[in-house]
Amino acid sequence: MKTLKLHIYIIAGLFLLGACKPEIHTPKPSAGSVDFSRYIALGNSLTAGYADGGLYLAGQQVSYPSIIGKQMQSVGGGTFSQPLFSTAQANGSGYLSLTGFNADGTPITTPVTTNLAIRGVLPVPGFGNVTLYTKYTGDINNYGVPGIKLMHITYAPYGNLNGYFERLLPGNAPTNSTTYLDFVMSKPFTFFSNWLGNNDALAYATSGGAGDVLTDKSTFAALYNVLINTLTAKGQKGVVATVPDVTSIPYFNTVTVAAILAGVQKANPGVKALYINALVSGSTYAPRAATTNDLVILTFPTSKIGQPVATPVGNLPYGLTPYTPIDNQYVLDEKEVALTEDYVTSYNTTIKSVAASKGLAVFDAYTFLQNIKQNGLVVNGVSVNSNYISGGLFSLDGVHLTPRGYAIVANEFIKAINDKYNSSIPQVNISDYNGVKFP
Amino acid sequence: MRKILLLVLTIAPLLAYSQGFQVNLEGQKQIGMGHTGTGIVQDGASVFFNPGAVAMLPENYIQGGISPLLFKSVFNPAGTSIQNHTSNKVATPFQAYAVWGPKSSFWKLGIGVYTPFGGLTDWGNTWQGKYVLESLNLKAIYIQPTLSVKLADWMSIGGGFVYNRGSVDLTRAIPLANSNGDVGQARLKGSGKGYGWNAGVYFKTEAGITIGITHRSQVNTTIPAGDAIFTVPASLQSSFPQPNTFRSTIPLPATNSIGFGFYPGSKWILALDVNLVNWDSYKTLSFDYKTNTAVLQDTKSARNYQQAYSLRGGAQYKANDKLALRFGGGYASTAVLDGYVTPEAPDANRVYGTLGLGYTVAKHLDIDISFEYEHLMQRTQTNFESQLSGTFKTDVYIPGISLAYHW
Repeated sequence: MKTLKLHIYIIAGLFLLGACKPEIHTPKPSAGSVDFSRYIALGNSLTAGYADGGLYLAGQQVSYPSIIGKQMQSVGGGTFSQPLFSTAQANGSGYLSLTGFNADGTPITTPVTTNLAIRGVLPVPGFGNVTLYTKYTGDINNYGVPGIKLMHITYAPYGNLNGYFERLLPGNAPTNSTTYLDFVMSKPFTFFSNWLGNNDALAYATSGGAGDVLTDKSTFAALYNVLINTLTAKGQKGVVATVPDVTSIPYFNTVTVAAILAGVQKANPGVKALYINALVSGSTYAPRAATTNDLVILTFPTSKIGQPVATPVGNLPYGLTPYTPIDNQYVLDEKEVALTEDYVTSYNTTIKSVAASKGLAVFDAYTFLQNIKQNGLVVNGVSVNSNYISGGLFSLDGVHLTPRGYAIVANEFIKAINDKYNSSIPQVNISDYNGVKFP
Repeated sequence: MRKILLLVLTIAPLLAYSQGFQVNLEGQKQIGMGHTGTGIVQDGASVFFNPGAVAMLPENYIQGGISPLLFKSVFNPAGTSIQNHTSNKVATPFQAYAVWGPKSSFWKLGIGVYTPFGGLTDWGNTWQGKYVLESLNLKAIYIQPTLSVKLADWMSIGGGFVYNRGSVDLTRAIPLANSNGDVGQARLKGSGKGYGWNAGVYFKTEAGITIGITHRSQVNTTIPAGDAIFTVPASLQSSFPQPNTFRSTIPLPATNSIGFGFYPGSKWILALDVNLVNWDSYKTLSFDYKTNTAVLQDTKSARNYQQAYSLRGGAQYKANDKLALRFGGGYASTAVLDGYVTPEAPDANRVYGTLGLGYTVAKHLDIDISFEYEHLMQRTQTNFESQLSGTFKTDVYIPGISLAYHW
């Protein structure tokens, strides 16, 4: 009988032990010297949660501002609202989805064209067609507008030229005249993040230096001062981010000159070089043989190579002779790269000095992404790098980030804020966020 | 009573199993005394603690016990207030011994079946470190036939051959999501074997102090062809060919011990043990896959464990003919250097205290119970390999019970 009693005690004891858990004492999250009650985010597509070549609900839901906003709630942050697409129109602008791999390992992407939020197309004379999206009328904390440049923030007609901005405004294009900056300032806020400026360099670069222009350096500096002076006019605190090195993204590093040439040489061993139409100086372009320093864009249709092109000296293969160089729009050549980098460096000098003068936190995205390009990054046992698809950081468009990439960026913003303002916004669990989805 | 005893002995091997890597639960009397037993003679558990002392046992023994173990770890990721807990799983290290020799002979034979190494940690599939480890169930069951010989009234020696049956079942998430957003998983599951030995010498000195010295050898346990099961999105399955197998070897380390027994009066036994564990043999954890692809390469991760020691002390007070009270405690240094702590065994320096009680319930039959509380110091780490960064803390609770029949 005694042993039976003993058994009962042991079993009861085990249940009790099962209930007690070790705990680690962590300091209570603190807002430091900042009021986070209304946080707003300014920026472009990266801020909006754009991914896979489009803006869609699932991407919006993992935008870095929404992650930061959620984490801020433990240190006095309020509700963080985003201009989300409805579930019925969850695919927003449409986007690319990975549907398989070719035998040579190259990915097959397919556009998603159902459940879109497109409400029409507006032809704007002298500008082109503007795609318009279903209006959003609720509260907004995330002011990320895909495509916007710093150059556009005080431009009154911009609400008629960018469908993503137009959908946030009450009025319909072409009647809008509210500037982006005025729209953002229309409701008071206590804290902001600002990651504008990428498109002032990126739009030029992704068009191979052919379809857009770099924003003038002094214009950039003047506008950046206007922006930050306005945002901090009532003593608001904030965090700003630098412009990443545009060449650190897979959009420019996946389809390489060497890879295309190797493909051509498999069929025609005699081919010695690819030819491109390269920048000489100013706006003068001339054909020359491509080198590994020339960056071919991700969307270059490689099937064009070798196709016969009519020239004054007869039909010649595309891309393989000085008379039939690869079109400018597909290549950011060495001098264009150098030009872009020069501008980006200047923009970042501006960003850092303005931030310093206002005592703002800085997330140096330039340094962070360049470091990942060179060394990769390991987070919680997951290795990420700047490679297309396999790297886990960049989405299928090769420019914007995956959920994992946005979560990593959110933590970098949080670290910068905490360092500057002595706050302790908790970081997010990056392991909860995925890279590219595979079929 | 005999029937109950047999029941315990038969189910023990089925219950099997273990805890956070080195499991020091080899005899209930010894647990009660802070895991001391190298320099004293208590019962059949001497087969483990000091084969050299077995011939000094005054009687023959058959005994078995289990120690249901709750290993409770928590992880606080750096920069967050998240607390990741391991799930409540009860591991059951066990120990069974038999010792026999003719009455008042100079020799004795023994056999021991015990679980000196193991690990049962289940962090789940949603925590911060899921890409490092979801769960690990590592078991090692040593079977040790032993011969011990009394060379003189004051000295005996003994040794045993060790056969180890080891198994591993490890899961971790793979950071490749399918179209539903579900991530992949790797599961490595297999068993293998290893061999070693255990030898010791035991002295009774003229000063009335007893001394034991032992060496338990390293046991390299090889899993030659475990199952390597990878669940990944369909379009990537060819990079993770199925079926596949892996080979892995784990060097279970050698342990050197010296122990002393003191007898201040007829009711008291005081014991002191010092152990030096040659964990420095555990340099890398490797998995060698039978079929490799560009994506699925063999892995080699550095562990670089260092030699670790433990100090153990304990006492037994014989309150009357039937009842013995025991207590003890100790300190064990960690084998894991900073930067190498992993969630498999979130090791740290540890302290523990034990209590025990022995009761002779019938002629020839002892029942022994013990309880141990073990605390692993809080340790804040960033792992070199995984960059998993945060603070681990662990508490271990181990009740235990055994029956010993002696004649």
